[in-house]
Amino acid sequence: MTLENSETNKSDIMVRVVNIKKKFGDLEVLKGINFQVTRGEVICIIGPSGSGKSTMLRCLNQLERITDGEIYVEEELMDKRKNDKTITHIDNDRLQSLRCDLGMVFQNFNLFPHLTVLENVTIAPRIVKKADISEINQRGLELLDMIGLKEKADEFPVRLSGGQQQRVAIARALAMDPKIMLFDEPTSALDPELVGEVLETMKNLANDGMTMIIVTHEIGFAREVADRVIFMDDGFICESGTPEEVILNPREERTQSFLNKIL
Amino acid sequence: MLNSTQLWAIVNGTIVTLEIAIVAIIFGAIFGIIVALGRISKNKIANGLSWFYIWFFRGTPLLLQLFMIFYAVPIIYLNATGKTFQIDPMICAFITFSLNSTAYLAEIIRSAIESIDHGQMEAAKALGMNYHQAMMKIIIPQTFKRLVAPIGNELIMLLKDTSLVSTIALFDLLRTVKTMASATGNWIYYVYAAVVYLFLTTILQVLFDKLEMKFGIYEKR
Ligand SMILES: Nc1ncnc2c1ncn2[C@@H]1O[C@H](COP(=O)(O)OP(=O)(O)OP(=O)(O)O)[C@@H](O)[C@H]1O
Ligand SMILES: [Mg+2]
Repeated sequence: MTLENSETNKSDIMVRVVNIKKKFGDLEVLKGINFQVTRGEVICIIGPSGSGKSTMLRCLNQLERITDGEIYVEEELMDKRKNDKTITHIDNDRLQSLRCDLGMVFQNFNLFPHLTVLENVTIAPRIVKKADISEINQRGLELLDMIGLKEKADEFPVRLSGGQQQRVAIARALAMDPKIMLFDEPTSALDPELVGEVLETMKNLANDGMTMIIVTHEIGFAREVADRVIFMDDGFICESGTPEEVILNPREERTQSFLNKIL
Repeated sequence: MLNSTQLWAIVNGTIVTLEIAIVAIIFGAIFGIIVALGRISKNKIANGLSWFYIWFFRGTPLLLQLFMIFYAVPIIYLNATGKTFQIDPMICAFITFSLNSTAYLAEIIRSAIESIDHGQMEAAKALGMNYHQAMMKIIIPQTFKRLVAPIGNELIMLLKDTSLVSTIALFDLLRTVKTMASATGNWIYYVYAAVVYLFLTTILQVLFDKLEMKFGIYEKR
């Protein structure tokens, strides 16, 4: 019975990082980070500029390579390195499938400007998964419908507002059927009046049970949606807990002063 | 005025000029992409080779390159094999101009690729594309619009540089009219040549402006 329990628990761990560090030359940006994310959990990461939030997300999907530590996705070892040397080699196929498991949404959307909205959403399934074209288009239109932009399918991204572009970027990531979605300040580049629609889309996603790791400065959103809030400072996780704990009753002085500054 | 023999000579000269320029721009663009990818590659050998290629072909006069292929290659071949070998001047022009424009276009293509926002490659990778897929489907297609104007420019330069082929016994447009001018003592033939060059370059200008609009369609708000 206990065994069975621990088994299910184990398979519910979507991401686990063990003592990860990241150096750029002599600059150590991540100084030993540990955490894990369980299925369906929504984690918001907050913290001052330069504390390493983006770097951590980028290490998770291997846009940056960690210099030390271990990364597991669904308890499968994805990367293990020590002193900038690879301990376990991940081959390219595996790296690619890992990246398909982790959808990423960027601060600057990074939509492909030469492709229409629908093509933006369908291009990765088309060339990476090589599935049936009509099925992919069908699914693309469904996703656009879900974010309320089906009528924009044939427009080029430049014709969309920032908020619409970011929603398309979310749909584009979802088209690869990721198990986990990573968001790096998805609303920071938006005019204030456009922030709401993107947060709304993300809320719906959370309600649908998506596992999400969100770097954000939207404290109100974090309070409402996050299961857990992580406060990062200077390459460490300084404090972690429920929104009530971290945002309303922070234990650490640095968390308090950060929150005072931005609230 | 021109008699029909002279007219045909000028038409033929124009065709030689156009043929060389067009062949050179096509091969230059194809091989230019390869050399450009070598230049941005992290592979030291590919990078070094393409650096050397560009260094040589941009750093020496086109006329010298033409002579090397037309005069030096047959001699090297003779020394190596003991057999004589005459290179066809037209083929020689095609090869030299293609090699030369490859170097220039490689630099043009490289800087166009590097001008594409880094976030595009990251987004492509985050979606599971490998480097090759991201280059072919995301990065390179976005360079097309930025390439049209400099490639048009290069084609116009080529068109004018083809006059160098008169040194390897080819009758291009300029050489044709020069022969007529010295035979008759009449300078008007140079004006005809100028008109033809201007006609061709104007057409190219218009054509490339249209192409630029077409490739840039997705940037229109
Ligand atoms: N490719 C890189 N090379 C060198 N230093 C880098 C690189 N990327 C990030 N850094 C440095 O790492 C530190 C952390 O950067 P990071 O972008 O992770 O911070 P952040 O917490 O996301 O900040 P922000 O809130 O401003 O986005 C910064 O000092 C930054 O200058
Ligand atoms: Mg950041």
